[in-house]
Amino acid sequence: MTGTEEFRAKASAWLQENATPFDELPDSEPDAGVSLEESKRFQQALWEAGLAGITWPKEYGGAGLGADELVAFNQVAADYRLPTGPFVIGLGMPGPTILELGTEEQRSRYLPPMLRGEEIWCQLFSEPAAGSDVASLQTTATRTTKGWVINGQKVWTSGAQWSDFGAIIARTDPTVPKHKGITMLIVDMHHPGVTVRPLVVATGTAPFNEVFFDDVEVPADAVIGKVGEGWAAAVVMLRHERATIGTGARRRTNPLGFDSLVELARCRGLDRDQAARRRLAEIYARETSLAAYGQLLHEETDVGVQIGARGSAAKLAGAELQLWAADVAQAVLGADIALGHEDLRRVVESIVSAPGHATAGGTNEIQRNIIGERILGLPKDPGVDRSTPFNQLRLSH
Amino acid sequence: MPLILTEEQKLLAQTVRRFVGRRTPLTAVRELLSGGRSHDPEVWQQISGELGLTGFLVPDEYGGSGGTLGDLSVALRALGGGLVPSPLLASGVLAAGLLVELDDKSVKHEWLPRLASGEAIGALATTEPGAGAFIPALPTTRATQVGSAVVLSGTKTAVISGADADVLLVQARTATGAGIYLVEASADGLTRHADRTVDLTASSATVTFDATPAVEVAGDTVAALDRIVDLANVAIASTQSGALEACLTMTTDFAKTRYTFGQPIGAYQGVKHKLADMYNLWALSDAALRAAVRAAEEEPERFAAAAAAARSLTSAGYLSAAKDTMLLHGGIGCTWDHDAHLYYRNAIAGNVLAGSADDLHDRIADKLGI
Repeated sequence: MTGTEEFRAKASAWLQENATPFDELPDSEPDAGVSLEESKRFQQALWEAGLAGITWPKEYGGAGLGADELVAFNQVAADYRLPTGPFVIGLGMPGPTILELGTEEQRSRYLPPMLRGEEIWCQLFSEPAAGSDVASLQTTATRTTKGWVINGQKVWTSGAQWSDFGAIIARTDPTVPKHKGITMLIVDMHHPGVTVRPLVVATGTAPFNEVFFDDVEVPADAVIGKVGEGWAAAVVMLRHERATIGTGARRRTNPLGFDSLVELARCRGLDRDQAARRRLAEIYARETSLAAYGQLLHEETDVGVQIGARGSAAKLAGAELQLWAADVAQAVLGADIALGHEDLRRVVESIVSAPGHATAGGTNEIQRNIIGERILGLPKDPGVDRSTPFNQLRLSH
Repeated sequence: MPLILTEEQKLLAQTVRRFVGRRTPLTAVRELLSGGRSHDPEVWQQISGELGLTGFLVPDEYGGSGGTLGDLSVALRALGGGLVPSPLLASGVLAAGLLVELDDKSVKHEWLPRLASGEAIGALATTEPGAGAFIPALPTTRATQVGSAVVLSGTKTAVISGADADVLLVQARTATGAGIYLVEASADGLTRHADRTVDLTASSATVTFDATPAVEVAGDTVAALDRIVDLANVAIASTQSGALEACLTMTTDFAKTRYTFGQPIGAYQGVKHKLADMYNLWALSDAALRAAVRAAEEEPERFAAAAAAARSLTSAGYLSAAKDTMLLHGGIGCTWDHDAHLYYRNAIAGNVLAGSADDLHDRIADKLGI
């Protein structure tokens, strides 16, 4: 057995002992019923088994292995529900960024507790007036004798409610063009000046938060990378953002997916209707093409081909498919969609949440710009703000 | 079987693209069409001889060239990108494919090597006036026994490459059901009228049989024709995928070099976003096509639905892309001299060739048991 195969066998054996296979979970709520304590215990056990931070250096608590082992782990883990949700952001973004850009002190201080599940991180980028154009952010970090003081607001922050630390990008110099006056810092989320408020979305749930910073002091050594080079650090972090193409993040059955809608049509006696059957067939065609595209990108990644901006093509296709399937579902189900029938509850929720899911992680318009510019090589949109000092820009407030 | 192309397939794609660029670019295609010819015999000879494409679906024992469906799909993409007029679909896929599926060894021995080499052009005649299904459930064209011989009577429409064919495979009704009958071009009572199609690069004909002598081709007609529908869907989807990509490339290049209001037009979101959407139409339908080719090999029970699904996406995507190609080129995109309308016409016809969108969706629903 090669080293990788040994590792795969070890991972497989450990998961069989310690994790629940997806097949054994009731489909209705696969993510529910896991407490934060349970998640922390699991992450610690994962780390003790040498299965956390697989590619991270040993001196910071990682396993010090390579991409082959990481792929092997993801492959065997795909069949299991891993209650590691609270750690996904930290391990996916601030962690690798600190590894790449941080000081030795920062790496030693922050990476081991991250891997052991002792400290949870969030990412503080988007603001109410800066989403698509996050570089026009208005949260400030002002120099003090001891370090910096942060004032402002972040939004769409997943996991802020249980985070210990955050990687924040803030404006340290408003007199230069927007990209040049930003710094990335580590902020203690338990500071009294930090207020976390749940953000309720259109479906009535609160998967995100607003985070307010009122005179939040951070020490001088909280800077990740260099002062004024926060945009480059942000780009590094976005590059590390873990793609969920087949990395074990199996989602609940999609109520607007082909299987669900066929079942729904059958229950309502619509499977004999020619028009309904044709629409369902079209959903099949589009859904299977998206799955094939995801597989194709995965195969290319496995052989070392950079998929580059094609992840945006996949994201746009998924968002558009869900929005279109929402239209089809409404056409097929007719007036009943509006009457609150219990069997249609999940479909209705999916229809209402489709625009939000499309927008999370980047609007459809931004994806189209990325496809046009980075895949097709078209020129960037004409703009005036790249070289204008930030304090002369027109902004939303 | 991976979805990514093998090195050999990449080489084949490159070879066919180079061939198209050198031997049959669109300027040559226009000359051909203005001369009233349906295809260039020398180009056909190279497609069938040097490139061996007519033999890809034919087994070695009958003179085939040892290619796979995936290889053929790759080659068809390149030919489709150049709108190359040729009887390859009719002869190398439909006619040769049907003989391979049927059970008649003597007909196979006599005709498959000739179809595989390109020496003879075959065509499949199934569609009839009226309802116009690609494969009618019960054709009205009749096969009647006269002594020891068989004669056909009736009319077939939309026969792809019908006027160019040396041999026709005809679906005809018998006393007990339907069968396939082979008719040579020289047969008595055979009349062929070439259609004036909207697609200038296509060739199809209305064929009439008046007591035309024919030879029965033994085999399970219904099963064989059902399989041919799948092969037709993959072949058409492949050609359309290549053409869609050509539209995308042409329009993207134009968007980078055409200036207006001080910028290349591709800088403006109105243009940029339409091109991004065109990219996605191509990328997703291309992936579906690869999945269909893989299903033929690995999941045969899913092949029919996968082939119809891929084709439904390329047909709709290509039509949208070709139309937007005309629109995004502005006024010049609507002139005769510009190539855009050639693609648009090809897309309009391709959208209903051997089955419409509704037919494809019905097929998917039937095959999946919805």
